[in-house]
Amino acid sequence: MQLKGNRQSLLPGFVVSCALFAMATGLLLLLFSQQGNNSINLGSRYHRILAWTALQATLSTMISVVIGIVLGWALSHRQRFPGRAVFIALLSSALVLPTLVVALGLVTVLGRSGWINDALQLAGFDPFKPFIYGLPGILIAHAYFNASFAARTVLNRLQSIPSSQLKLASSLGLTPLQRFRLLEFPALTTALPALCTTIFLLCFTSFAIVLVLGGSPKYNTLEVSIYEAIKLDFDLGRAIGLSLLQLGVCALLVLATNRSASVLSIGAPARLTTGLHYSKTEIANQYLVIVTFGIFFLMPLVAIVSDGVTGDLFKVLLQPVFVKALITSIAIATASTIIVLFASILICSSITTLAVRQGAEASLLSRLMLRFINFSATLYLVIPSLVLGLGFFLLARQTGGSYLLWSVVSLLAANTLLVLPFALTSLSPAMIKAANRYDRLALSLSITGLARWRLIESTLVRPELAYVASLAFCMSLGDLGVIALFGSQDFVTLPWLLYQKMGSYRTAEAAGVALVTLALTLFVFLTLPRIGTAPRET
Amino acid sequence: MLILESVAFQYPRTATTYSFDMQASAGAVTAITGKSGCGKSTLLDLIAGFQQPGSGDIYWHDQPLNKLTPAARPVTTVFQRNNLFEHRNAIDNVIVGINPKIPSYGIDYDAAAEALALVGLAGFEKKRASQLSGGQQQRVAIARALVRATADKAPLIQFDEPFSALDQATREQMLSLVKRLATTHQCAILMVTHSIADCDAIADARYEIRDGRLFSL
Amino acid sequence: MKFISLIFTALISTATFAQGKPVLTVYTYDAFAADWGPAPGIEKAFEETCNCDLVFVAADSSIGALRKIQLEGPQTSADLIVGLDTNIAEAARATGLFAEHGADTSKVTLPTGDWSDKTFLPFDYSYFAFVYNKENVATPPTSFEELIALPADFKIVIQDPRSSTPGLGLLLWIQQAYGDKANDIWKGLQPHIVTVTKGWSDAYGLFLKDEADMVLSYTTSPAYHSIAESDDRFASAAFSEGHYLQIEVAGILQSSKNQQLARDFLQFMLSDTVQDIIPTTNWVYPATSTEAGLPEGFQSLHLPEKTLLIDGVEVEKQRKSWIDQWVDTLGQ
Repeated sequence: MQLKGNRQSLLPGFVVSCALFAMATGLLLLLFSQQGNNSINLGSRYHRILAWTALQATLSTMISVVIGIVLGWALSHRQRFPGRAVFIALLSSALVLPTLVVALGLVTVLGRSGWINDALQLAGFDPFKPFIYGLPGILIAHAYFNASFAARTVLNRLQSIPSSQLKLASSLGLTPLQRFRLLEFPALTTALPALCTTIFLLCFTSFAIVLVLGGSPKYNTLEVSIYEAIKLDFDLGRAIGLSLLQLGVCALLVLATNRSASVLSIGAPARLTTGLHYSKTEIANQYLVIVTFGIFFLMPLVAIVSDGVTGDLFKVLLQPVFVKALITSIAIATASTIIVLFASILICSSITTLAVRQGAEASLLSRLMLRFINFSATLYLVIPSLVLGLGFFLLARQTGGSYLLWSVVSLLAANTLLVLPFALTSLSPAMIKAANRYDRLALSLSITGLARWRLIESTLVRPELAYVASLAFCMSLGDLGVIALFGSQDFVTLPWLLYQKMGSYRTAEAAGVALVTLALTLFVFLTLPRIGTAPRET
Repeated sequence: MLILESVAFQYPRTATTYSFDMQASAGAVTAITGKSGCGKSTLLDLIAGFQQPGSGDIYWHDQPLNKLTPAARPVTTVFQRNNLFEHRNAIDNVIVGINPKIPSYGIDYDAAAEALALVGLAGFEKKRASQLSGGQQQRVAIARALVRATADKAPLIQFDEPFSALDQATREQMLSLVKRLATTHQCAILMVTHSIADCDAIADARYEIRDGRLFSL
Repeated sequence: MKFISLIFTALISTATFAQGKPVLTVYTYDAFAADWGPAPGIEKAFEETCNCDLVFVAADSSIGALRKIQLEGPQTSADLIVGLDTNIAEAARATGLFAEHGADTSKVTLPTGDWSDKTFLPFDYSYFAFVYNKENVATPPTSFEELIALPADFKIVIQDPRSSTPGLGLLLWIQQAYGDKANDIWKGLQPHIVTVTKGWSDAYGLFLKDEADMVLSYTTSPAYHSIAESDDRFASAAFSEGHYLQIEVAGILQSSKNQQLARDFLQFMLSDTVQDIIPTTNWVYPATSTEAGLPEGFQSLHLPEKTLLIDGVEVEKQRKSWIDQWVDTLGQ
């Protein structure tokens, strides 16, 4: 299908993409061009840091994907049990849970004097040795986030297996393992490479978790080393050197598996295949998996709630610094949300124009443009927020001007880049669907521009927009990235305050801050999309 | 002989009730017709064990099937599509019907190769299922039903509109294959279809589903 | 959007808002600025005479305060930094961000003798030592080698030499005492280290919560427990290698717009008023002999027979390579 005459939607998105790209390249050039006192270097330990970062990312990816597959498998076969919908919603929300909150929760449960150790001692057993700081802690925390994400993706794939094939497997008396080998694993294979790359990249550039649970310099990832080069040694040359190294590795990975963001979509088709026969052991195993992971997933959150409530919640709530952090965080998150919404709508309009309206006979130019726009939206995977923050930070030093203003700008930019890949993967399919359905009609009636938006997209893609808004708000609210560089007494956000309190081992106060952050995140993430779905056209 | 006696069924949270009585003989093709959504697939699900009846009994040669798992029932179902494990080759998809371990040689392998030849797919053994045409895929599924029937695992074969996506020439080939399954291998064949022509061509007995009930035509 | 920018403007402006009076901003480490630290007393005393608003900004560690100033560069709001020591002073000097203090140092009485540094001004000193609770540790180790030989469940908590002056002090202490063998000592210490904290107060907090048997602190720290809490259970372990001396210093930023006020403040730091505040708030020795003298309780403290101190210039030459080695050793 080739429909002419609706090109004006192409430009704004393209401009946004160009702006994003220009910002990224500009900051990179700035990093490259740093001369003077600080000569760019990698430090003496870079090969060790790189090897370690790759190792922990590989291990984290393997663990997360295996748990994800097992849990996704169990959920796909247990179609009905009380709390299933809530559990799956919580799995989806792992994407937006503030990393530090979960890290604190994990320490509360698994730490030296954590719940499990207390329980063991009460039961008369020897407590286990502290293990949460160091590699095990990092792997557990990475698994917490990425296994949930993987499980969600796996569940999606498994639920799209045709029911006739499942019935067939049941009819032929395949064992669970045979069924997995013949039917389920093949259904996953298309998604696995992208899933693995995405998780690997997220773990490779992991910052907050390693910072808090790393324990010693031994476990520093590249990202944390960059942070330490700036914050501890003030060795900008090394920070830039390590940033460039990280950029190189991430860019290679992203280029090697293009479109790695495509697995990030988490909307699930509903499936109800009843009557498949399961042996008692199989059902027991499936519930065992669900219950085990459910406990693993819920315990840290429960710990935060219980510690937050019993701790110094009111003392914390009344601290001026907390109030300031809350207001700043909400303001930043709101501003980020607005920017992300505008940027993703514009970009998606362009993608839709390119993907649908020019169809199969797309010219080389429009195909290139589509690639460029898609790439600009996945910049975050290439440029982690600390590298971005360092760039803005150098810019702030060079241009002078208010340090705080630059802090705000860099935070907004980092949040936007962080959320965009997720925003586009949920929004663009919906926009493309709307275009496929109404393009001819709208064109024949000469409805274009804003009028068209009001009539068609504003209704059709409203649920997706609400979802994107909730993603943007929550991710911006909870991210400890750039703020770790820019945070100060004058510029406090909730994650930064939480990091300060955790860093100085004021766990009771930390739990209070964590509780508020968690409650705010879950509230927004679970209610905002509902507002969007109310008046949906069918 | 397959016998259904007052087999009642209702989907949760729906008002429609089904009540099925019917017989289907070995060596004959029994056709089931009816409007879309009338319950044809539900009937097949009940016989194959994918759904449990609320009351009533299903017998195969006087043996009650109700308590048996789908795998333990003597039934093979050939669906409209998605009958194959797409990343495996044709012969694997046939062997899996009698031996889930999918050996690559031995009696089972030979039986599967023979069945493939019978449906006209000799030489396609190592072809991936996803690379076969729609008609070829359905023939592989029929070959599987055939080996299962021959191995006495599943002498009852159900077809759920299996040929609706095929062109006329392929369709006629398939119908004669089905007919041969019934006559030479003494299978009981249940065929859900909405094509009167198909029925005219091979059906020995016919039922129609109306208002959740089966009527013999 | 307007609403948001309003909020930001409001947030930003509160930081610099003061009614007419000049604001003197001092960056320091958290324990110095804490409610129970020296800052509140100093602030009250200085504001009585200066007609200014003295503001202490706490970084999470001493070197952290320096890094914060370096990060902010010429736009920093800091007028002064309080709480560096002679080991990191050369690094601070090399940034070129500091001006001369211009204070009269004739009253300074330090174990090292007269003071000649024109950029950084000393205000107190003490000796690094491991502090323990006598009830938990009956026979404390008397040297690093004895400490290493203890069972692995004997835990210590130390500070990061990259962020904290005590952490750096320990690194130099072991370096001077053991020279080429320093790395072996660190390898031996590694299994005993519970965690490496960013600053002193974090480490001391963990120690008081019984997360470790000993904490890297000062020979003077037990005075806090005996004087402020009447609790005699705490003591510092005397090490036969000698103890490393820490002289804490303060300096004025060149970028400060309140140079005279800053100089007044530094001179004030050496006044009897502040010097008498220091022992019972920062729990170290004052840099001058005041009329009132040391408070009761300080006399009974362990005074090292052998004092260690590496020249600041030498430290700066080697600091990076020693720290790199430390990171490598702990990272194995």
